[in-house]
Amino acid sequence: MISTLRIAWRNLGRNTRRTLLALSAIAVAQLAVLAVEGLMNGMTVSIMSSLTGPMVGHAQIHAPLWREEQSPDLAIDRLEERLAAVRATEGVAAALPRIYAPALVAREVDGRAALVVGLDVLRESEAGGMLEGLPAEGRPHDRTALVGAELARAAGIHVGDELAVVGQGADGSMANDLLVVGGILSTPVEMVNRMGVVVSLETAQEIFVMEDMATEITLFGTGSIEDAGSLASRVAHVPEVEELETLPWSELNPELAGIRDITGLYGIVVMFVVFIAAAAGVANTMLMATYERRRELGMMLSVGVGPGRLVTLIVLEALMLGILGVIIGSALGLLLVTYQGHVGIQLADMGSAGNESISFYGLTFMGALHPFLEPADVVPGFVGVIVVSVLAALGPAIGTSRLEPMEAMRS
Amino acid sequence: MRTLRRSFLWGTTAFVLAAPLTRVLAQAPPSTPPTLEAMTARIDGLYRSSGTIARIELSIVTPRQSRTLRMQSWSRGEDRALIVIEAPAREAGTATLRRDRNLWNYLPRISRTMRVPPSMMLSGWMGSDVTNDDLTQSSTFARDFAGSVVGRSESPAGWLVRYEAREGTVGLWRRIEYVVGDDLLPRVARYHDRAMRLARIMQFEDVRELDGRRIPTRFVILPQDREGHRTEMRYLSVDFDADVPESTFSLTELERGR
Repeated sequence: MISTLRIAWRNLGRNTRRTLLALSAIAVAQLAVLAVEGLMNGMTVSIMSSLTGPMVGHAQIHAPLWREEQSPDLAIDRLEERLAAVRATEGVAAALPRIYAPALVAREVDGRAALVVGLDVLRESEAGGMLEGLPAEGRPHDRTALVGAELARAAGIHVGDELAVVGQGADGSMANDLLVVGGILSTPVEMVNRMGVVVSLETAQEIFVMEDMATEITLFGTGSIEDAGSLASRVAHVPEVEELETLPWSELNPELAGIRDITGLYGIVVMFVVFIAAAAGVANTMLMATYERRRELGMMLSVGVGPGRLVTLIVLEALMLGILGVIIGSALGLLLVTYQGHVGIQLADMGSAGNESISFYGLTFMGALHPFLEPADVVPGFVGVIVVSVLAALGPAIGTSRLEPMEAMRS
Repeated sequence: MRTLRRSFLWGTTAFVLAAPLTRVLAQAPPSTPPTLEAMTARIDGLYRSSGTIARIELSIVTPRQSRTLRMQSWSRGEDRALIVIEAPAREAGTATLRRDRNLWNYLPRISRTMRVPPSMMLSGWMGSDVTNDDLTQSSTFARDFAGSVVGRSESPAGWLVRYEAREGTVGLWRRIEYVVGDDLLPRVARYHDRAMRLARIMQFEDVRELDGRRIPTRFVILPQDREGHRTEMRYLSVDFDADVPESTFSLTELERGR
């Protein structure tokens, strides 16, 4: 056995051109698999983080029935007390109180449907918040509001305008007030761009008679979005919010969870196709390399090498080639994906010229895609490519071993 | 069918909601149902007024809270109305003007008038179960619906009259059923939406004489898709055939200090 191994190894060195060709076919196959896998990983994360972006968060707390009725009186009361309890819960990175109040806004006489959004301005200005990246002087305060860019454009609203806002207070009364437009807001959240009139939480509480109340508490966990379910169930058991409804994003937005699942499915299909292509390349190379050696193998048979040993020899060669090739391919793939992940793939380049974001299902995908690999991602290619190269060599090897030595040498 | 010009209480949602009724009432029926035309003729007279001034109390009940508004309304013809809220103090002076299919709200606290956009027509007026759309409906009933007397109704006792939306009619309701008592006053109306779901029930209660007419004076609206919600409208006083000039229904008048 040991000598067979040694012979196999030596055989690889005997025809360097053939070996290098097979090696590069295998390496390229693994490289392609890894590159696509890295891209899919990056896309999934990009979609997931856009899904859960500032608007949805990882989970949300509402008053029971709010999701069905969205009635203004279905607010979360005793807000500060509940917020403190939720923020003290393990695994909660941020708990953001928000008010969403449908309202009519008008610059002059014509009213327009809008959504007044009351935000904890300081907290929302941090990373991941709805106001991330706004300079301190551009944030809403007192009766100064920010108007979503699309709403502003459609309604002809400019900075400095005075807006009348009419809606319904939590006590059922007619809420109305005047706001000054302090800025036009462009956020990754399409709904805010299209309908939003963003004010501070305190201002929204005053206008809509919601002292110590909010419509929603948006939760962000310390872990990844994958942990949203356990985050939600942990928070749901906090005594202060037990009577409220706490749900992870995937239950709040089943259609978005559906998009994620479809993306995952799509990824599997793409991987499968890439895999088949890679395997075909490897199989072709190995098949040809083995056929090419029929004469040489016939010679070995004629000097007394048994058919079993011959097959073992060829399989060992293929195995060594496979392992070596996959290692090289993995190294190259890791390098490539790491580089791409570092540099990022600009999504804007895929969209129309001048667009810095892609809108989809009311969500805006901003910036770049960052491919990455997880250790486990190497395994399917590793196993698959090696198995294919061995199997491809096995066929002609068995065929040759069954021939008479003379016949094999003659071919 | 003759023109159905209703002037009864415009400016009150009840008027609008009750509009189909105007076609329903007729002389006291013994065992055979009155004809649709007879009912129509009767009701047409019942609600007709050249101009109406009314005081109304509106109670809005939700599962968790209830509140009451008091208001005065002026109306003229079928498509002019002005409603001014008198109480509670927080909303006093808030006014709604209807001219044809347009609605304006005046907000005294910020001294601003705002036109209600089409996209908000299905929202509740003043947080009630009466929509802005209800407030601007004209009596196109005869044109949009085909009526028929179905027969006796047991609960409540009376004649069941069914109105089906005509083919091609665009609107919220596909079928509206009325039960009309033997005194030929409406008891209840059931509104079915486009999917034939019972969406709204309106009860006519507290029949009394107001300004010389015997009419239901309280209307209870029960939206069927929102459990525990109800809106009640009650007439405190009505002045039929009052002199209500056209100038009442102007933006200037809407914004006049009250």
